[in-house]
Amino acid sequence: MTEPLLEAEDLTVQYETDGGMVTAVSDASFVINEGEFFGLAGESGCGKSTTAKSIIGGLDPNGQISSGTIRYRGKEIQDYTEKQFNEELRWKEIAWIPQSAMNSLDPLQTVSEQAVEIGTVHTEMSETELREQLKEMFSIVGLQESRINDYPHQFSGGMQQRAVIALALFLEPSLIIADEPTTALDVIMQDQIFKHLDEIKEKLNTSLLLITHDISVIFESCETVAIMHASQLAEYGSVDAVYANPRHPYAFMFKEAFPDVREPDRDLEVIEGYPPQLGDEIGFCSFVDRCPWATEECREAAPELEPVDDDDPRHVAGCFRKDEAYEMYQSNRLSSQSGDSTTAITSEDD
Amino acid sequence: MTGKPPLLEIRNLRKYFEQNSNIVDMLLRREPNQVQAVDDVSLTLEENESIAVIGESGCGKTTLLLTLIGLHDITDGEIVYKGKSISEFDKPDWKRYRRNVQVVFQDPFNSLDPKMTIEETLQEPLKIHGIKNREKRVRDVLEHVELNPPEKYLHKKPRNLSGGEKQRVSIARGLILEPDIILADEPVSMLDVSTQAAVLKKMKELIEDFGVSMIYISHDLSTVSYISDTVNVMYLGRIVETAPTEQILADPKHPYTEELVSAVPIPDPSHDRQRTQMSGAPRDPVNLDEGCRFRDRCPAVIPPDDIEISQEAYREIIEFRELLQRDEVAFERVMNTIDKSYPDDRKMAKAIREDYFTHDLTGENGAVLNEALIAFANEKQDVAVKRLQERFKSICETTPPTVEDENGWCVACHHYDQNVADLQVEQPKTAQSD
Repeated sequence: MTEPLLEAEDLTVQYETDGGMVTAVSDASFVINEGEFFGLAGESGCGKSTTAKSIIGGLDPNGQISSGTIRYRGKEIQDYTEKQFNEELRWKEIAWIPQSAMNSLDPLQTVSEQAVEIGTVHTEMSETELREQLKEMFSIVGLQESRINDYPHQFSGGMQQRAVIALALFLEPSLIIADEPTTALDVIMQDQIFKHLDEIKEKLNTSLLLITHDISVIFESCETVAIMHASQLAEYGSVDAVYANPRHPYAFMFKEAFPDVREPDRDLEVIEGYPPQLGDEIGFCSFVDRCPWATEECREAAPELEPVDDDDPRHVAGCFRKDEAYEMYQSNRLSSQSGDSTTAITSEDD
Repeated sequence: MTGKPPLLEIRNLRKYFEQNSNIVDMLLRREPNQVQAVDDVSLTLEENESIAVIGESGCGKTTLLLTLIGLHDITDGEIVYKGKSISEFDKPDWKRYRRNVQVVFQDPFNSLDPKMTIEETLQEPLKIHGIKNREKRVRDVLEHVELNPPEKYLHKKPRNLSGGEKQRVSIARGLILEPDIILADEPVSMLDVSTQAAVLKKMKELIEDFGVSMIYISHDLSTVSYISDTVNVMYLGRIVETAPTEQILADPKHPYTEELVSAVPIPDPSHDRQRTQMSGAPRDPVNLDEGCRFRDRCPAVIPPDDIEISQEAYREIIEFRELLQRDEVAFERVMNTIDKSYPDDRKMAKAIREDYFTHDLTGENGAVLNEALIAFANEKQDVAVKRLQERFKSICETTPPTVEDENGWCVACHHYDQNVADLQVEQPKTAQSD
């Protein structure tokens, strides 16, 4: 096996607040390979954005990586200084597509001016080369090449979003981190953006870390999914394995909470309660108060990620009762569903 | 027709806004630009019915809602509540109407007064309408929205509640006057998915238990089936299709609805969905002319009978002509790409053609396009538009009639001019090769 592109091991990120230390990410481990689309899902506040920020040294001033390692192409980067991040990683190796792409372009500069500025800081390329490079990226994301000299306000909202993606691609990074890139958009626009991301993967073999609360987007567009609950990685594996064989109660309940237009009558799962306030040490499963299958054991220690017995060797889940819980859940759901005769529409398209 | 009028009837409702005009416009007595936010919308809401209005942002769905509660004046058309038009309302009528029509807003984080406790928030409407027995009603309604036990919540302020709880308080506030109609504007879009399901379920139960009717406004087709029996699809101020929810999801008729349904992500990795073929975004609803509003993006726009042209090539021409009419062709940008030392109209026309057109046009079609582009290069824009119009006029440039089948399925699209069941739109997706 080739070397993984990005590896996080037992990553713990904490914020210092007036009320003491708050843990945002606790002992998270995952691997992103070259050319892989990796989706990180969870509710708001679960630590998914913090995880991403810690990778490129973008944590808020009161945040810090307390323990664990992040390796990029085998090299440990968790202790990098601002200068090292700028010189070695940002833009040319790891690029960022922010949540509100519409507000992240400088309104006073044309897109090409902004690109040239980024390029001269991070590479040795000449201005002409940089402009040519930007043109190429514009055509990949479906914008006319001649528009690189336009100001951001001359683009529509969806085009601005694409321009931001073009900028992220511009120095041909190996990894793009996209934090809720389509959350504010309508479904059609969202689909257009992912269509371009698909093409980018095909043409440039770029990896993507996609952060979203919408698991249906991940199931459609990514190879791997990690589900996070209140700072802990609950489950992680290939989308097929996690879809077909989820083990962590939060993972399967989260999955069932999503509406599916193919089955408009299906009962949606409700996850009661809300995530706990987390302090300095987390010596328990953070899902324990919301989990219908929790026992005393779950309060006494934080569960380790353990392999799930199926075809996917990477599939792991962090639950003490991962095998019983899913069985109980399944049988429960089957018995409650056999009663009503819902006619689910199974659309056979394409 | 039965004797009883429907609960709420919207007839050919129009809401236009005038775009801000500056002093030069005023001095020159230019007509202000019209933003056609809601254009000729008709809807009927019966008792105990829940209907949805679905569309992209900017399609006018929120304007429709604000017009319904009287926050915008009507430009044209009628809103009839229990047989009486709201334009004839006197003061007591308005008070009654506002009691019986309640709104649940999109954002529970900003639509509750941060200084009021939950009890005060819920008592406020009762005080305004002089209703007695307030304490008991507040408790009852909190129990109904499952904020149990009520004592725990009465003295809290919104900042102490989670998003889901806040939205339940919003719903409780909407219900406490026992209205006939609830207007819900994307009530779950700001909530996490774990609470989203609970709020949807609760709303559905309330519709059934309280016998309220609801207009549910959203851009999210995947949640709509949990709330509404009927879906109205809106595009640029007009309703293009109306049908029972399950049918519209399984078999959308209008090309826009089709795109909308097929763009909804499916939470299943084994499902192989095709990405949308649509490009661009809806245009601004400013000074729109006659015709189908979707025609500039429609994958199935209808070419004239008498010319031979592929769908894709035809769409490019239509798109370009729309740009030309709106004066949005980037002439200078294209000119910057060519050598400007000899301004030659043929060269300019060629540059524009290369910039905007990817499909080859031969014979008469190509000749007409060239003529038009040369006219455009000579700054005779109207000649260019006219030339293109003469040759490439589509039936879609006339407003399609709304046709209805026997099950109440309504579509406004020229593909169905005769009958909804009559014709299937030729699937443009399979035609595209890239």
